[in-house]
Amino acid sequence: MYVSPIREPLIRGKKTYNKITQEIAAPIEGKAGKAWYAGIALTGSAVLLGLIMIGYTVWEGIGTWGLNKTIGWGWGITNFVWWIGIGHAGTFISAILLLFRQKWRTSINRSAEAMTLFAVMCAGLFPLIHMGRPLLAFFVFPYPNTRGLWVNFNSPLLWDVFAISTYFTVSLLFWYIGLIPDIGTIRDRMKSKAKKWIYGMLSFGWTGSAKHWQRHESISLILAGLAAPLVLSVHSIVSMDFATSVIPGWHTTIFPPYFVSGAIFSGFAMVLTLLIITRKVLNLENYITVGHVESMNKIIIATGSIVGIAYITELFMAWYSGVEYEQYAFMNRATGPYWWAYWIMMSCNVISPQLLWFKKLRRSLVFSFILSIFINIGMWFERFVIIVTSLHRDYLPSSWEMYKPTIVEVGIFIGTLGLFFTLFLLFIRVFPVIAIAEVKGVLKSSGEKNLNPDKN
Amino acid sequence: MRRYISAYFEDEENLLRAAKDLKNNNISIQDVLSPFPIHGLDPILGFKKSLIPTVGFISGAIGTIVAFGFQTWAFTVDYPLFIGGKPHFSIPSFIPITFELTVLFAAFGMVTAFLVRSKLGPGAKKTIHDERITDDHFVIIVDLEESGSQDGMVEEILLKEMAQEIQVKEIEL
Amino acid sequence: MDNNYTFTRKTQYWVMSIAGLGILLLIVGYFINSPSRQELWTNILINNLYFLFIALFGGVFQALHKIAYSGWHTALQRIPEALTSFLPIAAVLMFVLYFGMHDLYHWSHEGLHDPILEGKAAYLNIPFFFIRMTVYFLGWIGLTYLLRKNSLHQDAFADMKYYKRGKFLAAIFMVFFAISSSTMSWDWIMSIDAHWFSTLFGWFVFIGLFEIGIATIILMISFLKKKGYLEFINKEHIHDMGKYLFAFSIFWMYLWFSQYLLIWYSHIPEETAYFAPRLHDFTILFFTVLVLNFVIPFLGLMTRNSKRNLNWLTVMAIVVLCGQWLNIYMLVIPGTIGKTAQIGLVEIGFVCLYLGGFLYVVFSSLAKAPLLSKNDPLLEESFHYET
Repeated sequence: MYVSPIREPLIRGKKTYNKITQEIAAPIEGKAGKAWYAGIALTGSAVLLGLIMIGYTVWEGIGTWGLNKTIGWGWGITNFVWWIGIGHAGTFISAILLLFRQKWRTSINRSAEAMTLFAVMCAGLFPLIHMGRPLLAFFVFPYPNTRGLWVNFNSPLLWDVFAISTYFTVSLLFWYIGLIPDIGTIRDRMKSKAKKWIYGMLSFGWTGSAKHWQRHESISLILAGLAAPLVLSVHSIVSMDFATSVIPGWHTTIFPPYFVSGAIFSGFAMVLTLLIITRKVLNLENYITVGHVESMNKIIIATGSIVGIAYITELFMAWYSGVEYEQYAFMNRATGPYWWAYWIMMSCNVISPQLLWFKKLRRSLVFSFILSIFINIGMWFERFVIIVTSLHRDYLPSSWEMYKPTIVEVGIFIGTLGLFFTLFLLFIRVFPVIAIAEVKGVLKSSGEKNLNPDKN
Repeated sequence: MRRYISAYFEDEENLLRAAKDLKNNNISIQDVLSPFPIHGLDPILGFKKSLIPTVGFISGAIGTIVAFGFQTWAFTVDYPLFIGGKPHFSIPSFIPITFELTVLFAAFGMVTAFLVRSKLGPGAKKTIHDERITDDHFVIIVDLEESGSQDGMVEEILLKEMAQEIQVKEIEL
Repeated sequence: MDNNYTFTRKTQYWVMSIAGLGILLLIVGYFINSPSRQELWTNILINNLYFLFIALFGGVFQALHKIAYSGWHTALQRIPEALTSFLPIAAVLMFVLYFGMHDLYHWSHEGLHDPILEGKAAYLNIPFFFIRMTVYFLGWIGLTYLLRKNSLHQDAFADMKYYKRGKFLAAIFMVFFAISSSTMSWDWIMSIDAHWFSTLFGWFVFIGLFEIGIATIILMISFLKKKGYLEFINKEHIHDMGKYLFAFSIFWMYLWFSQYLLIWYSHIPEETAYFAPRLHDFTILFFTVLVLNFVIPFLGLMTRNSKRNLNWLTVMAIVVLCGQWLNIYMLVIPGTIGKTAQIGLVEIGFVCLYLGGFLYVVFSSLAKAPLLSKNDPLLEESFHYET
């Protein structure tokens, strides 16, 4: 496989196959440091807070949240869409970048896909707990019942149930199939009998046989081919929760692809947030290189620009349509009581990523990290602006209201942040953070021995 | 009695050349074990294209029919309701769920086929030939004739490509 | 085989015959069908758009792959460059619409007393319309000209600065194109149904443009290979083009469906008034567009082998090209001519005339430079590539 010498090496440090195995397996084999314990103590307490708040919500009822008749969806659904959006980067990296033969994905796909699973878990919590009677949540599934009833297949909320369940399941399958050979690697390195047995079970008996590899490659490619439209469909269906309505600011045809771009945008930002820290702490800087960070930043600026164009399109179309409600909706966003949320969104999502046109900033780890936080904040506010400002003032002025989250809602959100980071911290100790077999596969063509490390 | 020879290489390109040589001499290779898939190996080992994509297509098609069929039946035959002025047979509404179940069925079908055909699964009985395979060793296992006439040729081909730990093994059948 | 394309007398003859056939059909059709002035202008608009889209895609193809650091496409480079050579003529043809504004665009009439149109008059007025048109073409022609010049310079001198400049131009083109592709579709297509609006419209038209472009490049590759050129284009390149055709036909369907579903679901009369005539007065055509642009390419290009077979791919590309022409027809016709529209001798005549002219320009441009560019640092990747 020929790779042009002007390309930056994907694996630095003149590695051998054995070194790759050693360095990536190290966090699993070694003991956790103080930083890890401190981290999980922090995230664990956030989880505890979240559990308490969720328990309180289920016990006392949805009245403990700040919702009202006018604004029926607030922080809960904002968080739901935010988390699902974040999850999309993982599938994008595994599936769409695989279909586009982007070799640089090999060192980030494993952790990005894991991130997807954790994000979807956090997201899935919200449709469940925001129900009036969460203990009857199973009503959303079409099972034969004595009432003779079926679920409402016409409702986008139900399409969500199927979309997110499918997304979680397929992502899990895709992630796990990819993991099997790497678990085999860990199994063969384990000294303790118990650990060897556990990883042995988890590795499904992987031997590295050529026929198995052939099937493995085939299934990975097809799962990628399936996951690519899946990722488009899931966030499109989530956007349809809003777009199928009739209210200004919600009902607009651009939502499906615009939400998908926004999801990839925020997802990549979260991948950067996680990996910039992880690569330093786990000594994986030779695998997740500055070049990788730059490539991710390029996707960020592309999707961020698409999101910016979508904002401008909406603004223009609101004016062009001549529909006074549509025009007011956007005037209100920019100048009404929630103007501060709107301008945070605009500066974080539209203005700040444009700085990535400068190569120096694209390759700066500090800048990328800070920017990734701003983007995630901005994307949270985007969902907040769409949901709350469109609801709080629609067609009937006598219904206009304001919304403020209660401490319960804020606590649940913090809890999901805690859950996400706890799961990630556990992940890095149990499974290899980088796809060992895939990285070995690109070592010859894209490693430092082959390419000039000074070119970039 | 089945006899075979096993050896390992440190570089997959050597293995690839050795395998080609063996194939040119009509020697059957039982298996190649590697830490990652070696490109160009499949045609040398005579592998037919995997049928997993076909399984995927069929499972997906089943998913499409099940999803679209069920929604249609539930909303036109079993319990038709007027919801938001939509027709009973509301095709556009049915599409999202139909798409999702198509993907779900396809994924499940393929993963099942993959695991069953490869006989992989939790608790699968597999002998791990060499623990270093999943690290950086590329192992080739070559079938030998009972008479032992091929032994010399095979060893020569393997040694030419710097194979290590060449071992001849016999199994009683 | 020699890598310089010669626009032979024979090919010229064929191309001019297609154009000649077009003129013949037009004359016959004019006498048989007596097309109205509006029908003539509508046909001009449809074909203007169609062939402009092909030309624009030449720029998009180059720019997109340059900014993505892609290597496999570099061997194909000269084909999209040749497509962009049509842009100046496309510009003239679009400006000619000045004389047909009243037949095409309802909003261009004066004294309508339509409050909705009056609300949009700051955007939909003839002077601003043509100022925008000027800006679009200045940008598109200017940037593709610079890209072409850069590519030719790179042939002559192996200097990394051309590679870097190419990427820079590509980035500017993509930004300019991203904005102008949406606004041009609002101006030239969406404003035909001036009471209607859809925020997705610009992106929907863009994906159609992408499909038309990919299908055209596939046909060009097929044509050149049959003549013995492009030996360096192997099955892998063909496979990639097949993947594009397949994937973007799915993406086109996704956008078509998103727009349709959301308007159908909310059932707001101002919006559904767009689809009602299309579904009821043009039913067969409405579904034909879906079959040609999605169902056939989806089923026909699913398997790996289908995407690697240039002959099959050519067939699929032709299906898509027909389907996309009908798509533009469906975007334009209901708002202009309405239900009396038909596809007859006049329509086919115009297509042949445009096709002949377009091919003449593109083949001439193709002959002006070697088919294989030189000195691109990623060019070697295009030769040695396997999946």
